[in-house]
Amino acid sequence: MIPLHRLKPAFWDLPDTAGSHSGLNLKRKWKLIVLVTAILSLSPLVIMTLVDFSLTRRTIETEANTGMRTSLNTIAAMMSASLAEKPMVTGAKTLWDKTFPHLNTGMHNDLFLMDNTGRLLTPSYYYEAFGSRTILDAGLFTGPDGIVHIQAPDGTPLLAGYARVTHTPLILVQLRQADWLRDLWLKPRLKLLWFLCASIGFILLSIMGMATFLVGRIHTSERRRIEALHHEEHANRLASIGRLASGVAHEINNPLDIINQKTGLIIDLLTLGKQARPDQRLLPLAEDVLEAVKRCGTITRQLLDFARHMEPCVEQVDMEEVISQVLALLETDARDRGITIHVPPVPEIPEFACDRSSLVQIFLNLGENAITAMGKNGTLTIGVFHEKTDLVTITVSDTGKGISPEDLPKIFEPFYTSRTDRWGAGLGLAITYGLIREMGGDIRVKSVMGKGTRFTLTLPVKAARQSTSDGSLQLPGADMPVQSTSVSDDTRGDLYAKP
Amino acid sequence: MSEKVLLVDDEKDFLDIMSERMQARGMTVKTADSADKALAMLENESFDAIVMDFKMPGMDGIQALKNIKTQKPELQIILLTGYATVEKTVEAMKIGATDLLEKPADLEALAAKIKQAKAEKMLLVEKQTEEKIKDILQRFGG
Repeated sequence: MIPLHRLKPAFWDLPDTAGSHSGLNLKRKWKLIVLVTAILSLSPLVIMTLVDFSLTRRTIETEANTGMRTSLNTIAAMMSASLAEKPMVTGAKTLWDKTFPHLNTGMHNDLFLMDNTGRLLTPSYYYEAFGSRTILDAGLFTGPDGIVHIQAPDGTPLLAGYARVTHTPLILVQLRQADWLRDLWLKPRLKLLWFLCASIGFILLSIMGMATFLVGRIHTSERRRIEALHHEEHANRLASIGRLASGVAHEINNPLDIINQKTGLIIDLLTLGKQARPDQRLLPLAEDVLEAVKRCGTITRQLLDFARHMEPCVEQVDMEEVISQVLALLETDARDRGITIHVPPVPEIPEFACDRSSLVQIFLNLGENAITAMGKNGTLTIGVFHEKTDLVTITVSDTGKGISPEDLPKIFEPFYTSRTDRWGAGLGLAITYGLIREMGGDIRVKSVMGKGTRFTLTLPVKAARQSTSDGSLQLPGADMPVQSTSVSDDTRGDLYAKP
Repeated sequence: MSEKVLLVDDEKDFLDIMSERMQARGMTVKTADSADKALAMLENESFDAIVMDFKMPGMDGIQALKNIKTQKPELQIILLTGYATVEKTVEAMKIGATDLLEKPADLEALAAKIKQAKAEKMLLVEKQTEEKIKDILQRFGG
């Protein structure tokens, strides 16, 4: 048995809020497609069926009525011929008893003779009493023959066919229940109705399936388009930061060099003996300034390095240097929140090559997420392991609030976020996932509620940048199952164990 | 014998301090606050080395380097830059820069490079002189 929630398409639960890609109102589109297609495809079927019902009913009724009139006229003609010599009522009775004893007098075929005053000459199923009493209103039977609707004494609606026996005061009457004809055409049609209902059901299911497929495709392509846009925007933002960093570094380096040279001059003046009695504190102070200038120089160089690496390219990457660069960016936030960042010794992987900016971004996204998850106080651990020659394993663990087992499978999906601030666009982990897949790597996550989360990345030592043909990032989808595990308390030891 | 250096930078402060510090280290220093002025000075004077900023308003370091190398190929030129990329360094070296130093520059390192540049220039001049003498001898001999 397939659980119902698995049949539910991915777009079904998207909130219809303006501004997000779900603003496309996919659920409404789905309903509209189903409605319009169902109306277009089912209405001819339903209309044809109704017309067929109506035509069949009319044809059968006409045929039956004509048949009844013809039969009555034939019998009446026969009686008329027999009574031509003695057109007497008693003679008619005798003739009836002799000639037509086999004619049924039952519920469905009540045939009898009456005279034009309404007296019954032969027994009737519906009008049992016969004889001298006037029972039927002969005025109903105006023409030489015909069919009229009457009511039996017990209230049963009846169809009365009649034919006058010429040259006599006799009227031959046949009564049938009014609905006997309905049984005739409705029963076979009801069998067809079941077939029609099953066909409608199949058609509706096909329409719903087709609409789900089409809207699902719209949802996927729209998600990819928006993701590509976000990725591009993100890349542009990074490039802008890069240009800004580059400009700032250039502009800072010139005055920095002046400080450097002027301080150098002070030191020169002090050391080259031109000052008679210099203050003893001047030289160390000037040297401190020079040291600070050196540090500033290192920072501007790092900024420029960062800017230079905004362009994607696969190159030899020093993992330790990348981690220290990321830590420099994370440590202020971590310090403010009382979070300790722990990095065990990073093994040397001289042949490790990848797109440096992507690696920085991956570390930054995971690090920022971890810090946000911890809030105040905690430990962020970044571990690098090189146990297999062609693989590098990186773990990013936090001691934060953890991810619930329900949310865990969704965390790599674009637009999934647990954050409510404007920066929580829900793209960080989706982009991280895409970048890792581009490098030919994989990411797994384990989490214990209230204890923490650990992301384990596996990257090939020689990573190739595998961009998708449209330049967009590869995102988690049905074809790329995200490996995520929620860890119960008893396996907590595994959470922080080396993979 | 002291090194004779031409300092080219658009920052006057930088020129003043650098020249004072370099003079304190026994160098003879002349300054120019633009590449055009430096080119004009080179027509009348000879220097052991030129220390020039990479990024200047008007004619930039690369263009000035090209012009100087066309005018006086034996001149040794050390470029100072706010940020040295591999591409920039390769380009400068291809045109004929002796070296490229990143700002904030360490004066001792610069002084060492100037000394090295002077030695290279001397070698180059000697080589050129030898070739000239050989050429003259060949002409007279031939």
